[in-house]
Amino acid sequence: MINSVITGISDVAANVRKIDFKWDQKLLPGQFIMLWYPGVGEIPMSISHLGDPKSITVKAYGTVSSKIMELGKGDRLYFRGPLGNGFNVRGKKRLLIGGGSGMASLHPMIERGVHGIVAGRTSADLIFLDEFDQDRVLAASDDGSSGFKGTALDALKTLDPESFDSIYVCGPEAMMFGIMKHLAGKNVYVEFSLERSMKCGIGVCDSCSIDGNQICTQGPVFSLESVMKMREFGLTRLTTSGKRIRF
Amino acid sequence: MNSERLRTEICGIKLDNPLILASGILDENGYTMARILREGAAAVVTKSIGSDERTGYMPPVVSPGDGYLLNAIGLTNPGIDNYGEEIAIAREVGKPVIGSIFGKDAEEFSTLAGKMESFGVSALELNLSCPHVKGFGSEIGSDPDAVEEIVNEVKRAVSIPVFAKLSPNVTDIVQIAKAAEAADALVLINTIRGMAIDVFARKPSLTNVYGGLSGRAIKPVGVRLVYEVKKETGRTIIGVGGISCAQDVLEYVMAGSSCVELGTVLMEEGKGIFSKVSTELSILLDQLGFDNISDAVGVAISK
Repeated sequence: MINSVITGISDVAANVRKIDFKWDQKLLPGQFIMLWYPGVGEIPMSISHLGDPKSITVKAYGTVSSKIMELGKGDRLYFRGPLGNGFNVRGKKRLLIGGGSGMASLHPMIERGVHGIVAGRTSADLIFLDEFDQDRVLAASDDGSSGFKGTALDALKTLDPESFDSIYVCGPEAMMFGIMKHLAGKNVYVEFSLERSMKCGIGVCDSCSIDGNQICTQGPVFSLESVMKMREFGLTRLTTSGKRIRF
Repeated sequence: MNSERLRTEICGIKLDNPLILASGILDENGYTMARILREGAAAVVTKSIGSDERTGYMPPVVSPGDGYLLNAIGLTNPGIDNYGEEIAIAREVGKPVIGSIFGKDAEEFSTLAGKMESFGVSALELNLSCPHVKGFGSEIGSDPDAVEEIVNEVKRAVSIPVFAKLSPNVTDIVQIAKAAEAADALVLINTIRGMAIDVFARKPSLTNVYGGLSGRAIKPVGVRLVYEVKKETGRTIIGVGGISCAQDVLEYVMAGSSCVELGTVLMEEGKGIFSKVSTELSILLDQLGFDNISDAVGVAISK
C-alpha cells in the first residue's frame, strides 16, 4: 500500500472535489488506483491529473468516497497502483466523450484543440466543461439544464465521427453501448474505458470480468473492435455477489 | 499444448494435463472460466457456492505481497440457485467443471451438492475451510466429526466424484484425512490463516482483519501436508498451494498428488500460465525419464 500526503483540495462541481497529492510515478491517461480509507473500504479511482502534483477527482457517492471527501490538506491518501492499461493517445483530431464522473478518467487528455462531449443528468454533473476550447465542446444534460437537452449519443449524432482521427469514451455502460453501436463500422479509431464492480484490482477475484477479460488488469481501456466482440457488454453483468443481471 | 505425457485422470475424469484452476481465483463468471479452459487448463473448480446470495466483505479483500497473497473475499457468491447459468457457459468448452460448495452443516452441503450435480458438473469439491458455527474462530475442516458427517452425507446425496478440500489450519492433518475417508479424493491445501497491518494507517490491511494466505510462500507447507497424508493414508490427492512452474507441479506430484490446482500464480502470470506450465512440464518429464505424469506420483515418498 502506497501512502501520500494531500497537498491541495479544490471544489470542481456540486459534491465533486479535486484532491492533489505527490506521487513520483509515470502514468498513462485512463490508469487508476484502488483508493483505501483505512477501516472503511477501498474503491477504484481514476487519476484525473497526471502532472505534479497528481490529482483524483472524487464525487461523494458511497461510504468510501464520502469519507475521502472529508479529508483535508496534510491528511494521507492510501492507495494501490497504478492499475490498468490506459488509453492509446493517437491521431491529431481527437474527441473525448464523458458521461458523469467518467469525465475524470478522460481529463488527462484534455488539451488545446481537443474536442469534447461532456454529458450528465443535470448541469451540476458536467465536470471539466470549462477546460475545453469553448468552440470545440458540446454539453449535454438529460434535463436540458445545460447545453444540449439529451444524451451523449444525441450530441454525438450532431457530429461527423469520421471527421475525427480518434474518439475516447468513458461513462455508464448503457451510454457506451449506444455509442458503440453508432460508431460500429465507421472509419475512426475508438477506445472505451469500461467499469464493472471492482474488488481485488489485481486480476484474481473475477468481480470486474467481462467476457473473460479482467477490467482491472487487461482494461479498463478496450478498443471498439474488442468491445464489439464481447457478449456481455451492454447486455449482462454480474452484481457484487456474482449474480448475473441484465441491463 | 498437450502431450501424451501429461494426459491423466482423476477419479475417472479425463484430463488433458494435470493442471486445474483452483477455487476462488477467476471462477465467478462463466465466461472467465470458459476463457481459462480455452487457454489450457484441463478443468476448472468454481468459486465456492453457498445456499444464499452473499456480497462478501467490503474491499480491501486482498493484500498482495512479494511471493504471497493474503485475501478475505468473504465467500462472495450469487447463491446456488443463481449459479447454473455460469456453469452452463463454462461447460460450453467441453472440459470438466468441478463445483465447489460451502455450507454450515452436512444437510446444507448435501442440498448444495445435489443442485450442483444437476447443473452438470463433473465432480464436487467441498470447501471445508468455512467458519464453524459451533466453534468460535475455528473452521469446519478442523473438526473431524463434522468433516466425516459432511463427506458421508454428500456421498450419499450424489453419484459424481466428491473431493474434500482440507484446511491446513489443524494440528493433525492425517486425522482429518481419515475422517474424510468417504471422499473420492482429497484436495490439499486450502489457504493458511494470516493477517497484515498497514503501519502508517495503524489498521489491519484487510477489511475482515483476518485472511487466508496463498501463493509461492505456502508451497513448502502444501508439499509437506500432501506428502504426510499420502504416506500415511495412500489416498488420491489433488495438490494445491503456491504452484507457479513445472518443477512445483512435479514436486507436488512426487509428494503424492495425482494432479494439481493453480490459483494465485494467475495474479503474476495471467491466464497464459496453464499452457506455459504444460509445455515446461512436458519437457521436464521427458528430461527425467517419465513417460507419463502418473508414473511420478508419490515417487519421493520414503518407505
